[in-house]
Amino acid sequence: MEAYRDQYATLFHNGRHVAVIGISADADTTLANWARESDFPIVFTSDIGSVVGKLYGAFDTKNNVDNRSLFVVAPDGHITYETPAFKVLAPAAYADLAHAIDQVTPAAAPSASGN
Amino acid sequence: MRIRSRTGLMLALAVVALSQAPRAGAQATTSSAAPSASPPVGAMAPDFTLPGATRYGLLKAPVHLSDYRGQTVVLAFFYQARTKG
Repeated sequence: MEAYRDQYATLFHNGRHVAVIGISADADTTLANWARESDFPIVFTSDIGSVVGKLYGAFDTKNNVDNRSLFVVAPDGHITYETPAFKVLAPAAYADLAHAIDQVTPAAAPSASGN
Repeated sequence: MRIRSRTGLMLALAVVALSQAPRAGAQATTSSAAPSASPPVGAMAPDFTLPGATRYGLLKAPVHLSDYRGQTVVLAFFYQARTKG
């Protein structure tokens, strides 16, 4: 999550037309405290029981936690990109993610004037 | 004496039932709880409703994925709060 925070402007256009929702089985109060302490600019959701994690195939039944699955959902609600285990330490993973976001976020496309 | 012990038993059962009830608002309002494969690229993202939080505190209203229609949404699952990455 620190990497998402630190690249929030470049990856997620400072939240302009892009929403980032972090999902884990933590209590909402735990997530709120962590978000405040680390100044995360994203929304966290508390998926106790990993119901949504299971719905998205992110739940690891062996270790009883959600994997770092990542999905990009286009403005029309369709999934356009997914990776079952986002490699948080690999720069190429962020390049792929940025490309996937920019492809479905019209406001992210460069204008004709280059501004 | 018999009436008193029966009342005690009923109270004990009520306490057990309450202690096992899920915490209000802590469950997703989705219909499927079974592990499954991830929805494929091109599919509609399954909607969900979950309690939310930001750096400013707990959200008063739950987060519905469908409320974000019209924006690009990145869903980032992770193991646990306070893990690096």
